[in-house]
Amino acid sequence: MENQERQAELTGFWYSEWAFVIFVAMLSAGIFAGTHMYYVYHIGAFNDIAIVAMLEGGIKTGAYGAAAAFGASFLFARVLEGPLVGILDIGGSLQTGIGIGVPAMLLGMGVTAPLTSFPLALATGGLLGVIIGTIIVLIRKYTISGNSSTFGADVMMGAGNASGRYLGPLIIISAAMASIPVGLGAVIGAGLFYVWQKPIAGGAILGAMLLGAFFPILIK
Amino acid sequence: MDTMTIIMESIIIGALVGFGVGAGAARMFHAPNVQGMGAFRTFGELNACEGDPISHFSFGLGFLFNSWASVVGAGAFTQDVEHRIIPNWAAAALLSRNRKVEETLHDPKKMAFAGAAIGVVIVTVMNSTAVAIPASLQVIATKVLVPAANWLINPVMPIVFWMAAIDAGQRSGTWATVLGGLSQLVMGNAVPGIVLGILIGKGVDDSGWNHITKTLVVAVVLLFVLSGFFRGFDAKLLNEFHIGVPAGLIEFHKIFGSVVK
Repeated sequence: MENQERQAELTGFWYSEWAFVIFVAMLSAGIFAGTHMYYVYHIGAFNDIAIVAMLEGGIKTGAYGAAAAFGASFLFARVLEGPLVGILDIGGSLQTGIGIGVPAMLLGMGVTAPLTSFPLALATGGLLGVIIGTIIVLIRKYTISGNSSTFGADVMMGAGNASGRYLGPLIIISAAMASIPVGLGAVIGAGLFYVWQKPIAGGAILGAMLLGAFFPILIK
Repeated sequence: MDTMTIIMESIIIGALVGFGVGAGAARMFHAPNVQGMGAFRTFGELNACEGDPISHFSFGLGFLFNSWASVVGAGAFTQDVEHRIIPNWAAAALLSRNRKVEETLHDPKKMAFAGAAIGVVIVTVMNSTAVAIPASLQVIATKVLVPAANWLINPVMPIVFWMAAIDAGQRSGTWATVLGGLSQLVMGNAVPGIVLGILIGKGVDDSGWNHITKTLVVAVVLLFVLSGFFRGFDAKLLNEFHIGVPAGLIEFHKIFGSVVK
């Protein structure tokens, strides 16, 4: 009975394979347009400073090889990994692959239109997203789905749940290493949250930020 | 004029990105039956907040200052906007009304719309403000949260997944140990390898060596070989065994635009 309910729960548009293609397309369109914002206004690229710096290096020198290779390798690895493990890593596949790698390749070939025009950027990103989403759905069809095995999903879910519990203590340790006031703030916040039966990670962050605002960490 | 364009474009980008991230994050809770989208760390961190809206909110807030400073300073949002701020704040918004995670955080439809709303606000505000973030709060993010999150990703998550794989039976334990170690070498983190190890081990336990499990192994080998090549692992390996890298291999790398020594 419960199993049937669960089955019913996981059907419909929001859980379907082709909805995934749409979600990837939307996210890719947004990320690619973010890179367009960066190219035109120098704001809004959806990636870490170090990775955006690789693209910036290309824009300045005209040598896009590093950014293109870096982005393409992440895109490739994550698209293969995504359907196998059930979670597509958007950091490697879309933010770095679509947001940095593909623009670097286009610019390296002298194609600038998708990056200078906002509508064209949305269209390019969306199209790339549809391609990637379709590839992932196809890989899933030929490997995971249509099989009775759950491929250890319960094991992975259990580990995913368990690893999250470590974050609270890690934040307290890190805060204690940053400075005494910040460390004390994290300890008090975490303690209070534990007594109030709330996850200690939230309390540790709030405590660290509160005391850190009054007693800034000295930068040597 | 530019400001208006930036605001208009930011609203569209924020809505698209937030919608995708929200739906993808909710679908992660149904993986691998349903294909999710996000990251293992996002998944772990969403679980860490245990469905408590204040924890979700403060976790996102902690990373907001760093991202904001980064976009004001360097024009780069950092990956945290999509990995941490949007999913956690979307979760916080939904959970503040209904504390049942099954009906909120795990529901792609609700998360998609909450994510889109949060995305619009965050991307627009961040892109249109050039006001500096209080430096003391920004330091907290980089000095406290970043190391803690990095430790979680490496080595805490690999070890937790590893132990789970070992406890799940000899076959998945063996595959996870070998692939996990190789993945740490080639990809810089053991979690993908361990997950693939569990996948193969449990798949074979449940249904034997059929065409699906065999295809899986071929795909995994391909994944390792290609990501190793694109990350220059082949050249590094030869160097560290004190064998010279053949000129042909260096040239081959150059075709793909990467430079190896």
